[in-house]
Amino acid sequence: MPLTVTVSTTGQAATIDLTGELDAASAPAFHDTIEQAAAAGVRELVIRAHRLTYMASAGLRSLVFARQKLGDDVRITVLGAIAPVARTIRQAGFDCSVTLVDA
Amino acid sequence: MTALRLPAALDSLDELARYVLAFAVRAGLPPEAAYRLRLAVDELATNAVLHGYRGRDGELRITTGMDAQTAWIRLEDDAPPFDPGAARPDPHIGLPLAQRPIGGLGIHLALIALDDYQHTRTDGHNTSLLVIRRDHQADPTE
Repeated sequence: MPLTVTVSTTGQAATIDLTGELDAASAPAFHDTIEQAAAAGVRELVIRAHRLTYMASAGLRSLVFARQKLGDDVRITVLGAIAPVARTIRQAGFDCSVTLVDA
Repeated sequence: MTALRLPAALDSLDELARYVLAFAVRAGLPPEAAYRLRLAVDELATNAVLHGYRGRDGELRITTGMDAQTAWIRLEDDAPPFDPGAARPDPHIGLPLAQRPIGGLGIHLALIALDDYQHTRTDGHNTSLLVIRRDHQADPTE
């Protein structure tokens, strides 16, 4: 299933909606929207993951990129991730650097 | 017998995933175990494409099998020798993201997703055997 990525920016917050499957082939689209958010100088990034049905390590690398690009002061929230996606984030130890919020 | 041959390219990942998930259904794996098997196959195939073949033409060959206790996928490539289980690159789990090197996560996720993993190098081929237990299901042979 392909990945659909949409981004919206309101004030100093950006919201990225992910729908579908995030793997090495589809991750560049996610990466591009993170670049857009960083370029806009946002202070908060919300990643809506309710409809993200699969995430490989390529998605984790995008989160690393987001943190390193946006800086430590920007809050990054992953909202509504399904259980296996949230488990992958926790297994990589990323839940210390991004906030996981249930739907 | 090889059941599926795919070009060693990221564009093959979707077809590979569909194949693995269909096999997981045939093996009676619950969704959580099917997800783990798909993740492991995806990560090791991605690693072979990006770091094994490195853009060169090649193929990935996949066979599947099961017995009463386990379901397994054999993934074979012709890239230079690489044993993910022996290499185990440090994913730096304890480091905050701001200090993380980007890399090593895929193999880490693949290996912890599986119940067993073996690598062999024979006649110029890397062969990974990825195993998921299915014995929490009723034995279909009984």
